[in-house]
Amino acid sequence: MSRIIDAGLEELSVMLCRMGELTYETVSLSLKGCLNGTSVYSQVNKMSDALVSMSDQAEDKAFELIARFQPVASDLRTIKSYMKIAYDFARYSRYALDISYITKQFGGLKECEKWITEYIEKMSEKVLTMVRTSIDALRSHDTQLAKTIAKTEEEADKMYFEYLDRLIEKAPATSKCTISSVLVVRYLERIADHATYVCESVIYLATGEKTILR
Amino acid sequence: MSYKIETQNLSAWFGSKQVLQDITMKIKGNVVTAIIGPSGCGKTTLIRCLNRMHELTPRAKVTGKVLLDGEDIYGENVDPVTVRRRIGMVFQKPNPFPMMSIYDNVAAGLKLNGIVDKHRLDKIVEKSLKAAHLWDEVKLELGKSGASLSGGQQQRLCIARALAIEPEVILMDEPTSALDPTAAAKIEQLIRILAEDYTVVIVTHNMQQAARVSDFTAFLYLGKLVEYGSTKDIFENPKSELTEKYITGEFG
Ligand SMILES: Nc1ncnc2c1ncn2[C@@H]1O[C@H](COP(=O)(O)OP(=O)(O)OP(=O)(O)O)[C@@H](O)[C@H]1O
Ligand SMILES: [Mg+2]
Repeated sequence: MSRIIDAGLEELSVMLCRMGELTYETVSLSLKGCLNGTSVYSQVNKMSDALVSMSDQAEDKAFELIARFQPVASDLRTIKSYMKIAYDFARYSRYALDISYITKQFGGLKECEKWITEYIEKMSEKVLTMVRTSIDALRSHDTQLAKTIAKTEEEADKMYFEYLDRLIEKAPATSKCTISSVLVVRYLERIADHATYVCESVIYLATGEKTILR
Repeated sequence: MSYKIETQNLSAWFGSKQVLQDITMKIKGNVVTAIIGPSGCGKTTLIRCLNRMHELTPRAKVTGKVLLDGEDIYGENVDPVTVRRRIGMVFQKPNPFPMMSIYDNVAAGLKLNGIVDKHRLDKIVEKSLKAAHLWDEVKLELGKSGASLSGGQQQRLCIARALAIEPEVILMDEPTSALDPTAAAKIEQLIRILAEDYTVVIVTHNMQQAARVSDFTAFLYLGKLVEYGSTKDIFENPKSELTEKYITGEFG
């Protein structure tokens, strides 16, 4: 016989893994739209709303597990971490929505110089890798994988500041491009941060250690 | 939506003292319903009214209805023995028949009901002990005295005994209060599994236990049903201030 709380923990874990996959699709779709100038706003909007409501449900479930089972030790850490991770996932999707809003409003990076779109494409790939890492680390509570995000996070951060420096040196031809591209790299940097928080939570729930990977 | 048990304006007395007042509640089938409340509030009396055991106490009285699958168990032509067969009971203190073997403890009710075929008895005893998750621990010593088992095992033996007569509803009155935490946890897990096949009503002093094992919770206070709802709602967001006070430990 398994413990009564186990069924609830498993249910919560399944909810989070589903959120993880949907969140990857959402971020990836919004970036695709942004890079080739197609508006995917309404689709991303729907996905993002779904993720926010899934996050609420996960929080609700976690709350119920606390109220009903008085979890301690690894159970308590897991529930606390799952609540935070659900929120982080919802944040990914909100930034994805922000990115597709820019695409819808200003046509994305359509007016930008080639070096800019290439730069942002490269940064997008990096951030998507981080999103993937966070999801996979969570699925198998893989602390080794979680730790690898520190390096990519540093790189993404560096790309963000380097981009701003480059713009100061050489402004894009249109202000539409300036505004769009700056906001997009900013949102990418935020997603990267949240992916890092997720990995920190994975390490915490598995080991009890509070690690800072940033 | 049909309910397994429905009480309608159920009231109960010991002599002239009224201990339950107008309890109206619908209990779903195949779920665990917990009854909580401070000592003396009437929890035991309530479940004893659900299988017509209350009336066994001298000068005890019941009014109102208790519907089992829609039919009043207090109806004119209803045999209380049949009711008790359909609605089994497990008590606070494990009470195996001390002079009987493990096997005979489980088979006792069946024999009383006239089942004598050895092969058939063997099968039901095994099935019941398995359902009570005791089989693996006792299968090699079924002839041993029931009293020789540990407290937790004795309680599972009593559950097996209750299951043997194939009830539809199982009432449990503080089934773990005499057990250590590990044995209690086993009974709690068992209760969850039993709810797949039976309707379970459990009385408990331990509200954490109610929170863990039940799907619905009823809070009883001074013989009245104060609040009744999903366990999630009762423990996250009780409607009544009295419930809030009780479950947060402000009184009781
Ligand atoms: N045999 C009896 N004769 C007279 N009064 C009784 C009898 N049994 C119980 N009572 C009274 O009926 C009321 C309800 O008792 P009951 O045993 O149902 O309470 P309870 O909620 O089960 O309490 P506990 O949590 O202590 O088991 C109490 O006031 C009790 O004193
Ligand atoms: Mg009692």
